[in-house]
Amino acid sequence: MTSMNFKKTLCMLVALIMTVCTFTTVVNAEDPYTSYSYNAWSVALPSQNGYIVKDTITGADMGLDQLSDPNSPLFISEDEPATLTDAKDFFLSPNNEFFIVDTGNNRILRTDINFNLIACYKNFTGGKVVEEIKDAEGNVIESIPATTLKSPYGIFVDEDDIMYIADRDNQRIIKCGFDCEIITEYVRPETELYDSVSFYCTKVLVDAAKNVYVICPAVNKGAIMFAPSGSFMGYYGANRVEVTAEVIRNKLWRKFASEEQIAGMINITPVEYANFDVDHEGFIYTVTEVADVSTDAVKKLNPAGYNILETTTNAADISFGDQQSITYSGATTATRLTDVAVGENGIINILDYTTGRVFQYDKECSLLFIFGCDQEAQNGGFDNPNAVECYGENIYVLDGRNNDVTVYEETLFGGLVHEAVDMFNEGLYEDSLDLWREVLKRDGNYNMAYLAIGRALLNQDNYDEAMKYFKLAYNAEDYDRAFEAERQDLLRDNFTLIVIVLVLLVIAWFVVKQLQKRGIIPNNLIKRGIKWVADKIVDLVKKIISNINKKGGSK
Amino acid sequence: MIYDMTPLQWLSHVIFHPFEGYEDMRWKKAGSLKISFVIVFFLFLAQMISARYGGFAFNMRAYSDIFNVVPILVQSVAYYATWVVANWSLCTLLDGEGNMRRIAIYTAYALVPFIVCSFISTGISYFLTLDESIWTTTISTLGLAWSGVMLVFGMKACHQYSFTKTIISMILTVVGMLLILCLLVLVMSLFQQVWLFILTIYTEILYRVRS
Repeated sequence: MTSMNFKKTLCMLVALIMTVCTFTTVVNAEDPYTSYSYNAWSVALPSQNGYIVKDTITGADMGLDQLSDPNSPLFISEDEPATLTDAKDFFLSPNNEFFIVDTGNNRILRTDINFNLIACYKNFTGGKVVEEIKDAEGNVIESIPATTLKSPYGIFVDEDDIMYIADRDNQRIIKCGFDCEIITEYVRPETELYDSVSFYCTKVLVDAAKNVYVICPAVNKGAIMFAPSGSFMGYYGANRVEVTAEVIRNKLWRKFASEEQIAGMINITPVEYANFDVDHEGFIYTVTEVADVSTDAVKKLNPAGYNILETTTNAADISFGDQQSITYSGATTATRLTDVAVGENGIINILDYTTGRVFQYDKECSLLFIFGCDQEAQNGGFDNPNAVECYGENIYVLDGRNNDVTVYEETLFGGLVHEAVDMFNEGLYEDSLDLWREVLKRDGNYNMAYLAIGRALLNQDNYDEAMKYFKLAYNAEDYDRAFEAERQDLLRDNFTLIVIVLVLLVIAWFVVKQLQKRGIIPNNLIKRGIKWVADKIVDLVKKIISNINKKGGSK
Repeated sequence: MIYDMTPLQWLSHVIFHPFEGYEDMRWKKAGSLKISFVIVFFLFLAQMISARYGGFAFNMRAYSDIFNVVPILVQSVAYYATWVVANWSLCTLLDGEGNMRRIAIYTAYALVPFIVCSFISTGISYFLTLDESIWTTTISTLGLAWSGVMLVFGMKACHQYSFTKTIISMILTVVGMLLILCLLVLVMSLFQQVWLFILTIYTEILYRVRS
């Protein structure tokens, strides 16, 4: 009877413990995704979170209801929507204000850094582009200047608070101040060089000299470049064609084909890029969105339009996004890089449209963190991630279907890595040693930490340890440097010994040869001597093996 | 010179006299099949060691965590066997005098410089930096060239061909090897199909019996 009771209590206890356990797991599961990173063999490994979701900001959180509130100074009209609708882009201005392109509602929202609404821009006056109003048969009744935006896709704001808006369906770029008085309009260039019929511009960017760069998805010769006055200057930084089997085959066929056949063939053209950003030094970074294109997926362009990513980094081979496309339940997910944001210290954030992940790289293009996911029902998951921006320790991602902005905050681990990476890229290897050791405590798979510690140890002339760490980092070049130094040290320290041994060996050889010649040592004796030594060695090996076996047995 | 040597002495004689060593050996009907098989085993060992060992900077893939022994086995033992079979089947048609045993022995003896040099280059890669990698490449190339020369003269002596005919027969042998390997793959996939068929029938019967 008592035993039954005891069993019952035991069962209850176990059940209680289990419930408590499940509760604690629920409490601990604060991240909607498991973070991962790639090791030296491009294999995905679990990793610590570098960023976690801090907040999700919807239109209501921004205070968009003020736009339809007659008592508010920001009042526009009674039926102004209080949510974002398919927002395509947002931009963090040099004066730390966000400009959200609310594409579905044809308006630009200006907020402060915490997404509190400051102003909303809808009507722009002084433009030359006309809007044609047609009747039912398609005849033009009248033409009026276009004052409103028609699905704007992109925005750029310079340090003088001049807005450049890519007004896609009006086929123009608007340059204006906050008074909405259009200063310049950039429209389809009337030149032979521009061979596309339309000018559906999606993204816009302005450099320090106020030249305007425009991306049109129909144009694959690079970004369209305008002078500040509005005149067409040319194309900037076209992508290269990725060499695939098909490209080679077509090139070969072209050699033999007749002109009619050539005319019927598909022209292989480079892929236009999807988005760009400019860093503090004035370099333009571009991303190409087409799936599975690895050539020029991410570029850093100099003012002449050449990709300098490979020449300015020490990385041997640079790759961006997920390492291979994954087929899961019949659907293949391939990386589609849709936006790039370059932060302070040259940290590059790349947004993958397919998986909703943000890939963060340092300025040497080594992967730092991967975060975010495409489970839209979850916090920190995206459905239509359209744009990414970064400010300080935060990363912001705009989602066009969830109609919100997700704010990611750097974790303790992320902060450690960032600080360490900054020092590392400045060459302060020894100062960053403690930080990297701390990083390794939190994530033993963090490859860069091994490399950094190895470099620090190499600077401290601790070659032996450095070699060990370079081996762990799987880095041949650095290992080789450490090894060379180590070998030189060994040779220098033992030089006398080595020379003495060599000289003795040579002398011994000569002596033995001479004695052999005179017949003082018969060949027999040498053979027996060698056999004796060989037997000894064999015995020793046998002993060692039996010892190992014994140890193995005892275990 | 008195050609009264032990099998191992014959081996070293052949290696260091690549031009007439094989003719001497053929004349004295020397050469041991046992030693040949040991050499082939060492070929396998050499390939394995050059894949799995070496200085870190020279052979990073040795330090990766994935290792598959099958390709190495194919590269050494299977290639050797197909070479012997292809050469025998071809040269019997081309008036060659060598029998299979002799082809096997002469081919195996020719591999020794390659094996030794591969061991040496793997060994010294532990003491060299990347700037000095010319030494390892030189040594392995030297071994390969030496083995190539020996193989040509070995086949020449084996079949009593002229030099040109030897070269032509060797090229044809390589083609024959490709054919044999291709057929082998075909046969293997065929057997796989047959096996699958038997397995399906077995499973089917099992279901019927149970129900």
